[in-house]
Amino acid sequence: MNDDHRAAPLRQTSLHSRHKALGAKLVDFGGWDMPLWYRAGAVKEHMAVVTAAGLFDTGHMDVIDVAGKDVRKFLDFAFSHDLAQAKLGRAAYGAFLDRNGLCLDDAIVYPIEEDRWNIVVNAAMGPKIVAHLRSLPGCPEALREPAARIAKIDLQGPGAVEILALMLPDPAAAFTGFPYFSFKGDFDFTRGSVRLKNGAPAMLSRTGYTGELGFEIFLPDDRVGEVWDELLALGKDRGILPCGLAARDSLRTGAILPLSHQDIGPWPFVNHPWRFALPYAEDGSFTKDFVGRDAIIGAAASTPHTLPFAGFDPRRVEPHDAVVLRNGAECGTVTTIVTDMAIGRRDGAIVSVAGPERPADWTPRGLACGFVRIDEPLPSGTRIALKDKRREIEVEIRGDIRPARTARKKIVF
Amino acid sequence: MKELDELLLPDDVRYAEDHEWISERAPYRVGVSDFAQDQLGDLTFVELPDVDKVLAQGDEFGTLESTKSVSSLYLPIAGRVTAVNEAVQDDPGRVNGDPYGDGWLIEIEPANPADVSGLMDVEAYKKHLEETN
Repeated sequence: MNDDHRAAPLRQTSLHSRHKALGAKLVDFGGWDMPLWYRAGAVKEHMAVVTAAGLFDTGHMDVIDVAGKDVRKFLDFAFSHDLAQAKLGRAAYGAFLDRNGLCLDDAIVYPIEEDRWNIVVNAAMGPKIVAHLRSLPGCPEALREPAARIAKIDLQGPGAVEILALMLPDPAAAFTGFPYFSFKGDFDFTRGSVRLKNGAPAMLSRTGYTGELGFEIFLPDDRVGEVWDELLALGKDRGILPCGLAARDSLRTGAILPLSHQDIGPWPFVNHPWRFALPYAEDGSFTKDFVGRDAIIGAAASTPHTLPFAGFDPRRVEPHDAVVLRNGAECGTVTTIVTDMAIGRRDGAIVSVAGPERPADWTPRGLACGFVRIDEPLPSGTRIALKDKRREIEVEIRGDIRPARTARKKIVF
Repeated sequence: MKELDELLLPDDVRYAEDHEWISERAPYRVGVSDFAQDQLGDLTFVELPDVDKVLAQGDEFGTLESTKSVSSLYLPIAGRVTAVNEAVQDDPGRVNGDPYGDGWLIEIEPANPADVSGLMDVEAYKKHLEETN
């Protein structure tokens, strides 16, 4: 990720000793020492999130506070998502672009009150995004990283509601009016309306990075340990597993979500499957002005197209060495390739282990999937080949990858 | 991740620097060590050679794909492939679960069976792991 963190000692979240006790293999992720997987292994962790529940430590992500009467106007200009009509209590996904339209980072913006918003960005990106926003005209004075670090754990999977309910004093009330991308509570824990049974204040966001039903749970750093322990204990009979970065990577890819600095990065933020991050009107124009807008309009014709693909078996190529071939001619590169172990092919169609069409006694073998950056937009179903030093595999351009995902499911409690 | 003293390291096989093992006597089975499977993490795909393929020492005989990486397998001594474990191709998790048993990869007929004793015994392999980790 960020080269300038290589030499520094790795940072640790407040859950670090728990990760070690749970047998995690730890790796450098954006300058943080984070779990790649735990004892169960990345395959079982991936399966747990698709069929039951998984718990991720995402405390390496950075929170930014921003306050002032013109916050909405400023962020609407600074952020790629149209925030003019954004409702309080509803989160918005988008990106921060520079003036040349290159993507600095993706982010979720949370309007808490009309004059008080929060932004959540990726590991180590807080200071960079704060500096970028401060360089823009109209930046509110009160834009900074909070003095006290905010912890975050993500409870993800179809069983997440039932497990979280056990920690809420009035779960029926908490889960009423809680659609995908809404949130309850406050990043300022002295003001929030949500408290867990153990008394810990929390900010619950119905978001995640897995494509499955779940919550990102923001907590005061000194309470995250006990909440982590309780969720794992309460979820034990419901199949919960602590999950690491490997499962997160394979889950998000199957759900067609980008990894910042890999699938989106320092190139024009256009010609990709994340159209919802841009303020497109029905006619394909943009609904508003924003930083980088004119640059990406100008660059659209010359910018490669990022497209999802899926293979026909679990085999992968090495993304750094691989080229994309169409009818034998090189046409691009691979930005991400993983094996989504929860899916397989049945008569050519992709079937999920959690899907209603899954035949009894059928276990998926996994499918390679990911994103390519190629020089022309190809329709879904187009066959291409990925070739590295070792092998060549055939894959197809896809509109979607893992079926039967639960992220948008209505909460029934 | 396993600490070195948690690794299963049987004393009736020989080890190569690239973490393959081979049986000390016939049938000469080849697999990867507990260290290797632990480092790779959960396997998602195993690619093995055709039976009867003749390979020199150090030749690539297949690949192990885990959720983390795609790794080549190298044959510790020269020989001809006499069997491949089809069960690990159907269920790569066997290599993680039982790397010296159900998770074996291929059987070979060594070009020179005496080559086996030139590989590391368990004590030498333990030392190799300590020095390189």
